Amino acid sequence: MKRRGRGIACMWYPIGFTVSANPSAATVKVNEDGTATVLTGTVETGQGSLTVLGQIAAEALGIATDDVHVVSADTDTTPMDTGAIASRTTYVTGNAIWLAAEAAKAILFEAAAPILGVKVSQLEAKDRKIQVKNFPQRNVSIGEVAHRSQAVLGQPAIGSASWNPPTVAMDPDTGQGKPFATYVYATQIAEVDVDDETGEVEVLRIAAAHDCGTAINPMLVEGQVEGGISMGVGMALQEEMLFDADGRHINPNLTNYIMPTSLDMPEITVDIVQDFDPTGPFGAKGVGEPTAVPTAAAILNAIHDAVGVRVTSLPATSEKVLAAIKASRAVEQKQIPA
Amino acid sequence: MDDKTKVLEREQLDIESLRESEVDLRLPAVVPREPYPIETLAPDARQQTRAVGQRATRPDGRLHGLGQTRYIDDLSFPGMLHARIKRAGIASARIKSIDTSAAESMPGVMAVLTGKEIPTNSFGPSFQDQPVLVDDLVFHAGDGVAAVAAVTEQIANEALAKIVVEYEPLPAVLDPVAAMREDSPKVHAPDSNIYATKVIRKGDIEKGFAESDHIFEGRFSTQMIEHVSLEPHAAIADWDANGRLTVWATIGRITLARSDMARTLKLPMSRIRIIGTIVGGNFGGKNEITQEPALALLSKKTGRPVKGVFTRGEEFTSTTTRHPIVMDYKSGVANDGRIIARQIRLVLDGGAYCSWSETTLGKACILAPGPYKIDNVVAEAFVVYTNKTMTGAMRGFGAPQVCFAYESHMDDIAKALGKDPLEIRLLNAFDEGSPSPTGQVLHSVVVKESLRKAADRFGWEPRS
Amino acid sequence: MTDVTMIVNGQTRSASVPPETTLLQLLREQFNLTGAKLGCDVGDCGACTVIVDGQAVNACLMLAGQADGRQVLTIEGMASRERLHPIQKTFENSGGLQCGFCGPGVLLSAKALLDENPDPSTQEIRDALSGNLCRCTGYTKMIEAVQEAARLLREESPAQLTHAQT
Repeated sequence: MKRRGRGIACMWYPIGFTVSANPSAATVKVNEDGTATVLTGTVETGQGSLTVLGQIAAEALGIATDDVHVVSADTDTTPMDTGAIASRTTYVTGNAIWLAAEAAKAILFEAAAPILGVKVSQLEAKDRKIQVKNFPQRNVSIGEVAHRSQAVLGQPAIGSASWNPPTVAMDPDTGQGKPFATYVYATQIAEVDVDDETGEVEVLRIAAAHDCGTAINPMLVEGQVEGGISMGVGMALQEEMLFDADGRHINPNLTNYIMPTSLDMPEITVDIVQDFDPTGPFGAKGVGEPTAVPTAAAILNAIHDAVGVRVTSLPATSEKVLAAIKASRAVEQKQIPA
Repeated sequence: MDDKTKVLEREQLDIESLRESEVDLRLPAVVPREPYPIETLAPDARQQTRAVGQRATRPDGRLHGLGQTRYIDDLSFPGMLHARIKRAGIASARIKSIDTSAAESMPGVMAVLTGKEIPTNSFGPSFQDQPVLVDDLVFHAGDGVAAVAAVTEQIANEALAKIVVEYEPLPAVLDPVAAMREDSPKVHAPDSNIYATKVIRKGDIEKGFAESDHIFEGRFSTQMIEHVSLEPHAAIADWDANGRLTVWATIGRITLARSDMARTLKLPMSRIRIIGTIVGGNFGGKNEITQEPALALLSKKTGRPVKGVFTRGEEFTSTTTRHPIVMDYKSGVANDGRIIARQIRLVLDGGAYCSWSETTLGKACILAPGPYKIDNVVAEAFVVYTNKTMTGAMRGFGAPQVCFAYESHMDDIAKALGKDPLEIRLLNAFDEGSPSPTGQVLHSVVVKESLRKAADRFGWEPRS
Repeated sequence: MTDVTMIVNGQTRSASVPPETTLLQLLREQFNLTGAKLGCDVGDCGACTVIVDGQAVNACLMLAGQADGRQVLTIEGMASRERLHPIQKTFENSGGLQCGFCGPGVLLSAKALLDENPDPSTQEIRDALSGNLCRCTGYTKMIEAVQEAARLLREESPAQLTHAQT
């Protein structure tokens, strides 16, 4: 018989490395027509970081995402980056890119100020224009300014910067300190059906509410949540690397290492929690890893709710769940007065 | 007519007859190209000048859908060789001898490499305890013992079988809790198997337990998991005549990769170029070098580019995995559900090498109490060597494991006290400005908002 | 050596290869069609999916010789000079591909489904993709993309839909 259950899990997760320096450096070059090229040492591993970093540079320069081309991952031509790890790209590399774009923009403002007859501090970059704050009708196109800066004044608009999250070392005896510059928070709630005759668990739906600070690209955030949940489903119910008594691998293949297919996925709703982190680029934090954190906990809590058994070791395979159900029934029967 | 004129006449004759013939004169090396559309008009979201917040499509997304993305295995260079690595297949052993002569003399095998040829045969992001190719002791069944470069992958595979390695089996330890004991076999003798520890202390734990109305305990454990990126680890190494090395690699940290290559090969960094292509999934498993120094040395020996692509089996046996953790939780709770004190002990299975274990240990320890306001905390964590696949960085660095523990534990507490699981979390969760277990004042805290939002979306109603 | 001739993406192609060569190796190494990927080489992951005579198959499990004389469609054959295939368009718009490695296999599995079933249910889409492993996306946006592509394709050729229904 199928029994339904629901389970909550909430979590917190840090952005960046634990205490140690993990800087990123970036260069932003504004081309003579007002489009831009970004150089970053990070690597695109599928999460969409290059797209997001392009959006950050575009926002800083007041141009569109498509006006920015991102070049990455070549130690000869791109500046150092601690890498695509620890969910740090949007936050740390993003901050470096934002600072580099601001530096390039400062050169543009120097060229634009005399044209518009104002001080540099009175300018802003918006809608592909350099314009006077509060008087947008007084503007010059960013292309004109970039061309003038480079070809007339001899000042190409190139900005370079690096950024490292500020931390405080942890005391070796008490661990007290500030290991990370910021954290993200999330909750996932799962609904499952447990077949109490076979121990099989079907995850029906998951409601995920994730904080990522400002969502630079909500579509990519959703993609990360959905992908993270699939890893969580696998961790909760299926995946395990097995070794024999001599330490040799039993299942080093995808036939016997079970991981989620399209048939195993629940319906997922993703809500991005409204938040703004002043230490991040345009308020953004990060999201890559947190999405895989609470899923297994939510599913296991839902199993507990459904059939009243607590499986304490992962994965909660159908054998384990069934064994736990039988064990708890045996206990119950012992407790029923004769 | 002299000889030179005769030759010229003959050549002209041949060209004339070729021009008249119907033979297809296109060079066979010109590769035909499949057609694709060239769209210069960008989708709407990518044209907006407020760029942040846009659901902008990815430029690489279009290339992926066309099959045009070039991953490492899609790249090839003239004269390129294929490398394979022989795996130990035994968890703990001393290598008595390695005989590569039969492999070396196979037609098509261009070079063989063993560990003792590697200038600095050790690497690792925190401890440099991992050899590129083992040359004395074997630490886990997936260790690389020798590498070959051949003209085809098939020949390279056949060559592996011809390499004869004599092992003296040594005792292996597979369980991390057992490995903590003094009498356990030592993986990296003579050092203790406990290779890193972390502790967090806040408040007064004994006082906290004394003040609590209830004490709850639980033990939770998690399994070893593999990243299973669809693209296996791959790299290509090539040298130019100036002794400058270029490596195309799937590594997510090219700056670190360059410094690791400089160290293992004893080269200045200015002579090394690492190019990261678009990677087919990383999730933490491609954050350090694996075969790259071996490929570089094979390339140097042969004077040709060398490509190495891990098999799916090697992805399991010879790349980093997620730490299995045994987690003991003890919480002191008030009648109303507030957590007064929490004591945690974590034992991480640290595999054969450190890799990213120190980072994982630190994060797991800091995150272990959960996103909750708890005045009295003790969290102790240990990472322990075992003779199994090395455990390293994997999406979450210990967080999914401890979250499973602290949230299961929380539900156990809720059930015992008759509290709604949502309510007990809202009671205890961080607020803006709450101190973390390490005494850090937290900002931009939205855990309660996330609880409420998810509950609202899910339709969570408290049960009477 | 085995001589093989087949129609790949509408063009006749030939090669002379060792008999144990798989269709995947033939496509990647002989024909330079690297869209189909090597993910496991034993038919577990679907990254090598191509369409042979209308059916989605794992190219790593088929010998080159077995494809002799047949019609093969790879990812490179889906688009034309004028436009992306609607499936490619919807996957791009919905963010259905992240690292992209499983992408060619998934898109071809989707095409094989829609060629046969122009109005699939969500479960039918899940079934069609069940042989394609993806570690990045969780499949969610892929299913949305296939549904949207099905809708676009139905709009394009209502006559075909009528024919399929009779």
